[in-house]
Amino acid sequence: MSEAAIDAREGITTVSRSFGRQAWDRFRRHRLAMFALVLLALLTLSFIVGPWLSPYAFSDQDFSALNQGPSLAHPFGTDPIGRDLMVRTFIGGRYSLRIALLIAVLTTVIGTVIGAVSGYFGGAIGAAVDQFINLFLIVPSLIILIVLANRYGSGPNAIAVVIALLAWPLIARIVRGSFLQFREQEFVLAARAAGASTRRIMFRHILPNVFGPIVVNATLLIGTAIILESTLGFLGLGVRPPVPTLGNLIAEAKGALQTKPSAALIPGGFIVAITLCANFIGDGLRDALDPTSRRS
Amino acid sequence: MLAYSVRRVLATIPLLLLGTFIVYVLVAISGDPLAKLVTCTTCDQSAFDRIIDLYDLDKPIPERYVNWIVNAVQGDFGPAVSFGSIDAGALVLERAANSARVAVPAFLLIVTIAVALGVYSAVNQYSRLDYTVTGLSFLGISLPTFVFALLLQTIMIWMLEGFGWRPFYVTGMRTVELDGFLEMLRSHVLPVVTLVLVLTASESRFQRAAMLEVINSDYIRTARAKGVPRRRVILRHGLRNALIPMVTIWALDFAALLGGSVVTETIFAWPGLGPLFISAVSQLDLNLTMAIVMLTSLLVITFNLVADLAYGWLDPRIRYE
Repeated sequence: MSEAAIDAREGITTVSRSFGRQAWDRFRRHRLAMFALVLLALLTLSFIVGPWLSPYAFSDQDFSALNQGPSLAHPFGTDPIGRDLMVRTFIGGRYSLRIALLIAVLTTVIGTVIGAVSGYFGGAIGAAVDQFINLFLIVPSLIILIVLANRYGSGPNAIAVVIALLAWPLIARIVRGSFLQFREQEFVLAARAAGASTRRIMFRHILPNVFGPIVVNATLLIGTAIILESTLGFLGLGVRPPVPTLGNLIAEAKGALQTKPSAALIPGGFIVAITLCANFIGDGLRDALDPTSRRS
Repeated sequence: MLAYSVRRVLATIPLLLLGTFIVYVLVAISGDPLAKLVTCTTCDQSAFDRIIDLYDLDKPIPERYVNWIVNAVQGDFGPAVSFGSIDAGALVLERAANSARVAVPAFLLIVTIAVALGVYSAVNQYSRLDYTVTGLSFLGISLPTFVFALLLQTIMIWMLEGFGWRPFYVTGMRTVELDGFLEMLRSHVLPVVTLVLVLTASESRFQRAAMLEVINSDYIRTARAKGVPRRRVILRHGLRNALIPMVTIWALDFAALLGGSVVTETIFAWPGLGPLFISAVSQLDLNLTMAIVMLTSLLVITFNLVADLAYGWLDPRIRYE
């Protein structure tokens, strides 16, 4: 007789809920995180739909409205050659968000695999990863970024790959620590005794235990990546114009800060909004996915 | 402890060599100093020979690196060709001093504010003030440095237009010697405030977490139970222990600040290491780039070591063997 059937006979009603369901219920109670999730969804939607609804294309020039502040015809104003800044901001948001997502996914995959391997096998591989992380403290990432961008171009995808190649040690460290801890536990021994292969033990038995921290950090990475990408764009080291990422838009507008600050501050506001959402969602996920850090 | 320090310093030497070698190769393979001469119609072979001789271009890159490191450890970093061939080492030291002018006050403010906010939030966990501080630090973490700096500049511009006067300068550095104390202060405020906001947001979060861990531990309960005054429990028993894990974070942040902040210094046109580094790398000025990298790596290594030694001094349970 199943557990549920016993409960039913004894008049106890239990609802069995999966881990995902429980996590979602906990996440839903985190009001700020839910708000952030809705806001991020709305922002993403406006980036996707906005350019379709707008009467202007992102490179259309309106010569009767050069370099204007916000108006009814151009809610975010226009740039010095008469391009509508609202549609440019939406397209910029598209690019920035796409780059950030790509960075988050790539960094997480690279960091997880390297962290898992170095944590599970330890020894020389672990020491090598440690030294590699130390090396990154010395070699400035900006140099690698500039040099690689010079050689292999700086399209949106290339920049994302380069940033991911520089950012993985953070995730690797977290995953490695957990693997070091879990590989000594009994369930791993049991799996090995039952004849599971090393790969199965690593990715089927241990990895799900580290799932929480990985997802939380991947979410936080989206925020970091947006800031990083826009900072590089602002310094003129990121994605090359004419691709309008949010950072590039601010870089284009910074010269006219005196006469038209809205052109720089509006894309800046979008960056802050996206990053805040990512951070709040990450915070909510931390509470939802890690049963031990729940509020008492 | 001395033996440990010596061993640690020795262990960083291969790392430093490998790191500088990677940077050297990356910059050296990125551009050809002879390329500028190809379009020069009046240059004869002697011009090429002079450049080849100046950069040792007839030798393989590893050999050039060895020559460079041998000179560098003797304090000779070569001429900075993108800066009228003045001595790269001297230029870097001069700019590093300018970076320190904002880095030191910023660091002192960051530590003071972050400790105060972190401890107060932790002691009054889930109070209204804790939520406010948490919210503000989230905002600080989510606000890119350059957006905040542009916001400050915009406010100054508005003040100048509205009142015909602004309290702080938007760009450039003024010194006591040349411009007087007040002018010096007016030019330092905005870069320092920018640096403070960015780092205080993250450091106060770390401080809050460290303090929470301490005040939930058994010896704090013991101290409370035996009737130690609340203030003394928090400051003597709690804070002292909650500061230990912060030492590493402080050391790394201070090293990064002294090494020059690229974004803040660029926006405020501050003649520090940050803008110098960007210009050196983008003009592929090998000697200058290497001199900066050498200084920043030495800063990171030194402060890391200081943090580790301070750990042992603050927490006698840690032994260096």
